[in-house]
Amino acid sequence: MPRFHFHIQENGRFIPDEEGQEFAAGEEVRKEAVATGASIARDAFISGSANRVIVDVREEEAPFLKVSITLDVEEPTER
Amino acid sequence: MSSEIISAALVRRLRTSAGISDEDVQTIRALPITVKDYAADRPVVRDGQRATECCLIVDGFCARSKTTSDGKRQILSLHVPGEIPDLMSLHLHVMDHDLSTLTACTLGLIAHETLRQLHRRNPNVAEVFWRDTLIDAAMFREWIVNVGQRPAPARLAHVMMELRERLKVIGRISGSSFEMPLTQEQIGEALGITAVHANRVIRQLREDGIVDVQRGRVSVLDEGRFQELADFDHRYLHQSPAL
Repeated sequence: MPRFHFHIQENGRFIPDEEGQEFAAGEEVRKEAVATGASIARDAFISGSANRVIVDVREEEAPFLKVSITLDVEEPTER
Repeated sequence: MSSEIISAALVRRLRTSAGISDEDVQTIRALPITVKDYAADRPVVRDGQRATECCLIVDGFCARSKTTSDGKRQILSLHVPGEIPDLMSLHLHVMDHDLSTLTACTLGLIAHETLRQLHRRNPNVAEVFWRDTLIDAAMFREWIVNVGQRPAPARLAHVMMELRERLKVIGRISGSSFEMPLTQEQIGEALGITAVHANRVIRQLREDGIVDVQRGRVSVLDEGRFQELADFDHRYLHQSPAL
């Protein structure tokens, strides 16, 4: 089974995934990447530590897919 | 293995949390217990199984978990020596979750019939075990609060701090480090996050100089910040007869 690495970027901060995980199907990788991004974004957005989370998935070294989640809060200028 | 060694951790726990009498300790030591070795990551009792005995952890770590129909596993609790994680199977006849080993384990199997007789003849011991299952339930309440309300780094710190408190009671702490034999994936399953998120949280705690997790051991780097992050109040563990 191919091995996938899920590298994380939170704003500028890069967190490498050295271990990686094995997945049989690409669909499973996509699900894991979205779940990971959403789970990290929840913490980061609420704590205010970041407003953009990217999960950069690589199959060995080659780019496989990238999930990016951005916090966008709009407030009217006059209240 | 002598009966004193088999029940050593259990006796330490019950002395601390329930103040069990020496006479009752003798009764527990006299119980017929079958000792069996299990490899790591093996089921002990499965969801749906009808159990005929309860297992006392003599050595090693176990976890209880439940898996959803689409295969997602939630770890519900971690268990250390001296605990009887499936004590409820004495009264709840069909298992509603899995009990499995995390590490290689030595388990002491106690027949339900033995426990039933023990409880009838020794109401004091029955009360102590009842209290023990109530503490188990208190730990589940805390687990729900943890998984539902705390951000992931605090969630992990809380699980670590609880484990340390429980290991302390059975005398299994050396210096500022202690065992937490979970893989990244299992940490994720305990906290309700993915393995990659668990990896990220572990790294953050290390980089922030709070705790370091390496090969199943937790080293506390900054006790004050560890406690602050974990938001831990030991009361729910009821580790004294007065609590």
